Amino acid sequence: MGIVYVSVLFFLANRAKSVDKTSKQYLLGGSNLGALLGFFTIAATLFSTFSLLGMPDFFRVHGIGAWIFLMFSHCVMTFGLIWLGYQLHKKAKNHSWRGMAGFMGQNYGHRFAGIVAFFGVFVFLIPYISIQIRGVAIFLSASFPGVIPMWAWATILVIIMLIYSEVGGLKAIMHSDVLQGVLLLVAIWIIGYNCLNHFGGVRAMFEEVEIVNEALLSVPGPKGLFDFQFLLGSMIAISLMPYTQPQISTRLVILKNVKSLYKMAISLGIFGIIIILPTAFMGMYGAVLYPEFSTSEFLNKTYIGDQTNFVASVVMIGIIAAAISTSDSQLFALGGELRSILKGEDRKMVKYARVGIFFFALIALLFALMSSDELALLARTSFAGTALLAPMILTGIFYDHAHRIRTLPLLTLVALLIFIASLVGWLPHQVTGIRMDLALITLLSAISLLMILFDKIKNSRTQDFS
Amino acid sequence: MKNRLWTFCRIAVGVIVLITFTPLVTPPGIKEPFFMGMPYTLWLGITITLLIVALTWLGTMVHPGNKD
Repeated sequence: MGIVYVSVLFFLANRAKSVDKTSKQYLLGGSNLGALLGFFTIAATLFSTFSLLGMPDFFRVHGIGAWIFLMFSHCVMTFGLIWLGYQLHKKAKNHSWRGMAGFMGQNYGHRFAGIVAFFGVFVFLIPYISIQIRGVAIFLSASFPGVIPMWAWATILVIIMLIYSEVGGLKAIMHSDVLQGVLLLVAIWIIGYNCLNHFGGVRAMFEEVEIVNEALLSVPGPKGLFDFQFLLGSMIAISLMPYTQPQISTRLVILKNVKSLYKMAISLGIFGIIIILPTAFMGMYGAVLYPEFSTSEFLNKTYIGDQTNFVASVVMIGIIAAAISTSDSQLFALGGELRSILKGEDRKMVKYARVGIFFFALIALLFALMSSDELALLARTSFAGTALLAPMILTGIFYDHAHRIRTLPLLTLVALLIFIASLVGWLPHQVTGIRMDLALITLLSAISLLMILFDKIKNSRTQDFS
Repeated sequence: MKNRLWTFCRIAVGVIVLITFTPLVTPPGIKEPFFMGMPYTLWLGITITLLIVALTWLGTMVHPGNKD
């Protein structure tokens, strides 16, 4: 089954292969994305190993607050797509869009803004890509003990991703996303249904969970994770992903028209609910049957050990598909971002971007071998990190005179560095009781608004005098 | 009329976001009342997400970008 899956991926890559290696064709897939393909590619990019492996574990360990953490935030994001997403789509279509970093460079009138945007996505997307690779590699390693080591699984995944995305470009990735999205949906529902079936229904499931660990049935959960600040910070970070994570921004911009954007947004909201609901069943199943297991032990038992061989194979392919569809999009997006800040002959710059993708993949692979197993929390850190770019990006998109407030990119860089310092322990995780990510984004947002306000006042005075 | 409905959608989503972070939707340590066997925050959370999807659908009908 695995061989069939990989063959189909390469077939799609070969079919989508374009001899025209320009930015528009290779990095932006021809910039003419319809609603259906747009929906599948964004859904497959958004719902990843983090959803398939991280969310069941989040429900198992921290309880039903995981729904508010992800699904509520996801739905706020989909509403935002028809509001802010529409504005980005409209504005970027009128510019020669190559990537968010380049777009920021254009709007702020200097390359530094683009470099800050690239730095932010590079630093916080690499860990996100790494956890996809690591998640699947530890899962495969546990499922086939003694066959090959974890690092070898990780390397094989990266090689598969690199081959088909380098051959076919963004179009190949988007076409394969349709396959990956369907596989993800099938896999997640087979397991979700089996887990629910084990209890005989929703009511019986929660009755058993109540006996095992009552705290899982309310917020903030047994470990107190889902408190007000965590949920609010998560909602802000997740709802801003279409503007702060280039793999989604680019797909938004290259949608054919506004109607496609609307249809994609509604489908994405519904798809999110359908995909996350069964992960709650899996989490509750794990909470009752395997409360003391480690993440990998629980996932291995639930996805493989407790299933028939056929189901286990389908699920394994689904998990690999989930990881590959997100990671390849992110790696490719990093390449696109690199291209967008480079100046020179287009085909030559695309070549540099392709070399860049190879190096980004190598860094992600190394990081994957060293990172921790807390997939959902690491993903959340990535969302929070890229969210710090939001005030600068949104100002760049919506304020026509962003080039007059040049200090905002510098302040954004400082905020990113402070957040990184807090993550590695050089600075505290909280400031006066407020989570560092929440404090920084609040401060940056307030500064951005004040800068726009002062700029408007200053400009109107200048106009009055003249 | 469409503009008013679009404003309504934005305000409605804003209000939903606000109440989600109050004890009305996420009361600490409260699991009752259950609905269809689900604990309070979960069934209300699912209802809220469905409501936002419905508002997104309505939004696409009345969004000013429809003219483009």
